[in-house]
Amino acid sequence: MGKMKIKAKEKKGTVKVKAMFTSLMADKEEAIKKGIKASYIKYLVATVNDVVVYELTMSGFMSENPLVKFKFKGKKGDKIVFNTVDNEGKKQTGKKKIK
Amino acid sequence: MDRRKFLGVGLAAFAAMVVPGTDLKAMDFRATKPKAWEIEKTVDGIKALYGNGGLKKSDKLSFKAPKLAENGGSIPITIKSSLDLESVALFQDANPRCLSCVFSIPKDAIIQYDFRIKMRQTAVVTIVGKERGTGTLYTASKEIDVSIGGCGG
Repeated sequence: MGKMKIKAKEKKGTVKVKAMFTSLMADKEEAIKKGIKASYIKYLVATVNDVVVYELTMSGFMSENPLVKFKFKGKKGDKIVFNTVDNEGKKQTGKKKIK
Repeated sequence: MDRRKFLGVGLAAFAAMVVPGTDLKAMDFRATKPKAWEIEKTVDGIKALYGNGGLKKSDKLSFKAPKLAENGGSIPITIKSSLDLESVALFQDANPRCLSCVFSIPKDAIIQYDFRIKMRQTAVVTIVGKERGTGTLYTASKEIDVSIGGCGG
């Protein structure tokens, strides 16, 4: 798995987050067609100060390099932490300060 | 003394019940509902994930999607809701398995989620939301035309 791009900006108490993950998001059928191994992120969670703000379970039918956008109530300076798990159980973590 | 002990036990049990909800809780739907991820039809998928509840249509739960998707490989979707929902799931009939993604929503969250999905062909997309506490199921659906297949097509 590759990089994780995170952008988080605070405005009037709400934090807008954009996050992009690099993954082929190929499910079984697609993987067979392309002749590659199935690989997709199956679980994604974002936390701020150990409180979950975003949680998503996915199948391989999300688009390639999934981009998610969401909002939550938060403040500047906090750190947002993303954790992903792919279909083979590989874990990855990304951190970003909220601007 | 007995009563005091009883109260203590009760309090401890209550605390144990409450803490996992507020703490970093990992509600992995793949682990709790493994069957739902293997089902082909939307109707059966909803039953597998949320049980046999009646589905209600509501204005407060909606999603934005293009009527005609040029590229089936990435269809932008925005889910919006003003209800207090526990989780939202997206189903479609285009792919070999109907369930695309499930959000579990923390308390006091702003429900406005943008993401992109893949669809192999023209099909109906359905989202289902479960209200916190009451467990009432709300639904909204739309047909999306796909001109080029997304799943390696």
